[in-house]
Amino acid sequence: MILDPFSVLLKYGFLAVLYIFLLWVSRSALKDLRRGAQGPPSYAGPIAGAEGTSMHAAAGGNEAALSALDPRLVVERAPGHAPGMEYEVGPGAILGRGDQAEIRLEDPFASSRHARLTRQGGVVILEDLGSTNGTYLNEELVGGPQPLHPGDRVRIGDSEFTYLEALD
Amino acid sequence: MSARTRELFALVPAALLLSAGFAAIFLSRGDLLGGLNGTNQVSDVSLTYGGIFLGVCVAAHLVLRIALPDADPYLFPLVALLASFGLVEIYRIDADLARQQAQWFVIGVGAMVTTIVILRDHGKLERYRYTIALGGIALLVLPRLFPPTNGAYLAIKVGSISIQPAEFAKIAIVVFLASYLRDTRQVLVLGATRVLGVTIPPLKHFGPLLLVWGTAMLLLFFIRDIGSSVMFFGGFLAMVYIATNRLSFVVIGLLLFCGGAYLVAGHIGHISDRIDAWQTPFDPKLFDPGKPGGSYQLAQGLFAQADGGLFGKGFGGAVLELPSGNCGADAQLCTLLPAPHTDFIYAVIVNELGLIGASGLLCVYLLVVQRGFKVAMLARDSFSKLLAAGLTTVFALQVFVIVGGVTKVIPLTGVTLPFVSYGGSSVLANFVLLALLLLVSNRARREA
Repeated sequence: MILDPFSVLLKYGFLAVLYIFLLWVSRSALKDLRRGAQGPPSYAGPIAGAEGTSMHAAAGGNEAALSALDPRLVVERAPGHAPGMEYEVGPGAILGRGDQAEIRLEDPFASSRHARLTRQGGVVILEDLGSTNGTYLNEELVGGPQPLHPGDRVRIGDSEFTYLEALD
Repeated sequence: MSARTRELFALVPAALLLSAGFAAIFLSRGDLLGGLNGTNQVSDVSLTYGGIFLGVCVAAHLVLRIALPDADPYLFPLVALLASFGLVEIYRIDADLARQQAQWFVIGVGAMVTTIVILRDHGKLERYRYTIALGGIALLVLPRLFPPTNGAYLAIKVGSISIQPAEFAKIAIVVFLASYLRDTRQVLVLGATRVLGVTIPPLKHFGPLLLVWGTAMLLLFFIRDIGSSVMFFGGFLAMVYIATNRLSFVVIGLLLFCGGAYLVAGHIGHISDRIDAWQTPFDPKLFDPGKPGGSYQLAQGLFAQADGGLFGKGFGGAVLELPSGNCGADAQLCTLLPAPHTDFIYAVIVNELGLIGASGLLCVYLLVVQRGFKVAMLARDSFSKLLAAGLTTVFALQVFVIVGGVTKVIPLTGVTLPFVSYGGSSVLANFVLLALLLLVSNRARREA
């Protein structure tokens, strides 16, 4: 009964369909790998990679990683700013409507000292300074201090920035 | 081709596999009952089953098409493939169980769709993180109130339904850890010192690690289930590693776990039995089928797998029970392979489809895990990243714990083979897990 030709055929048919399906699905995985290896850096790779290295730099005190960081905020849209404008974060900066703020916001929803960026090792930390309308990181309200990763979006009222680190 | 269209096409092989599998089993049954009389009905009925299966999957696919247009296209078809594997094998073992499993499959797909439609955005889960954590722990502790199965407290019995809450608890715990680590991961890495090139986090930040370690040990002690505690603790360590990029946490955590498990295992009878059975499954003293906690099941499973060879014996080819006349008064002797539909379904699959079929099954799991980690890499915010990675790790560990147990790589513990083993709770919980992964991937791929 086990050697029934039809039954044997079905078994091999089953295995063949299974493996053809597997090849088909894994082909797309291979494509992803190739894209990651040579092509233009997709968002997936650099974020995951940079996250790792910056974390290492934070505790290890890796000087090379620190100087290579060069964190910047790029204006996406903000009242009184041209989109694409870049602010260098430097050792740290305060965002707000007031005069002491390094990054001046002409936004009615911003408080005078709204949020602060600080460097801790190789990581830039975003912190809300008890603002009235809150600071949003990737559209999530910032509660405590949050580390920034390249590509993160920081929003205060109607002003929106993208956080970038030097990639070269 | 859009992502959803690819998903639709990928569902077809799963339905084909189901039809082919059922046809082969009908064939072997028909032959057993007398020649080729049944052959003609065979193809009709099995194609009908395949068609119904495809119908359920396509219905779910249509919901995904509307609710999550950008979600990962291969996750759902891969899971459908696993489910078709499971349905075929369970049908081959027991038709009644397969009928129940098919119902659970439909309910599971329904649960997935409901989760997606109600939740819409997995970010909402973060708001309820402490409620979810408490719920998870309660689910883990509840079975203690009910009588144990094989020495482990695994199930809640309500009327005739038996629920395995650990399956749901794993999701709750991962959700909690993802949102907890999102907030505290920064704290965990700052202020670390380097000793001999190894980064050691400050002592006070071991608190959470010790807490989860303690929970895992308590689980081991109270629930007496190594499988779940390995799953939880492994998932936790993987998430800590992803959140902090610190190998030291993982190494220290593993050492703690091994030490703790060694101490606890010595004091719980059935766990040391399991370890003995794992070390010497062919010892005549342990092999005695009548002996509870012996190695009969494991050894028979190993024989069954070896017997499968390269291409297996074909569907319906595995001998699971001796004809009742051939065994003595001791009923246990008649069962060649105990628990073939739950713990040992992997051994049955290896026996019937051989090394090639079993490798194919493991490749399906690997691809699910690959898709899951890819979702985590694509995700933009830390919570989504941690959630996807954590869910995927727990899923992968569950497969490792049971397949490793059946193949004698690690001591055997009874967890289910996700989507393949018989069991309503497992199917339901894993479909909810899949729903969460799909939700994360929808947002990640839309933004990428």
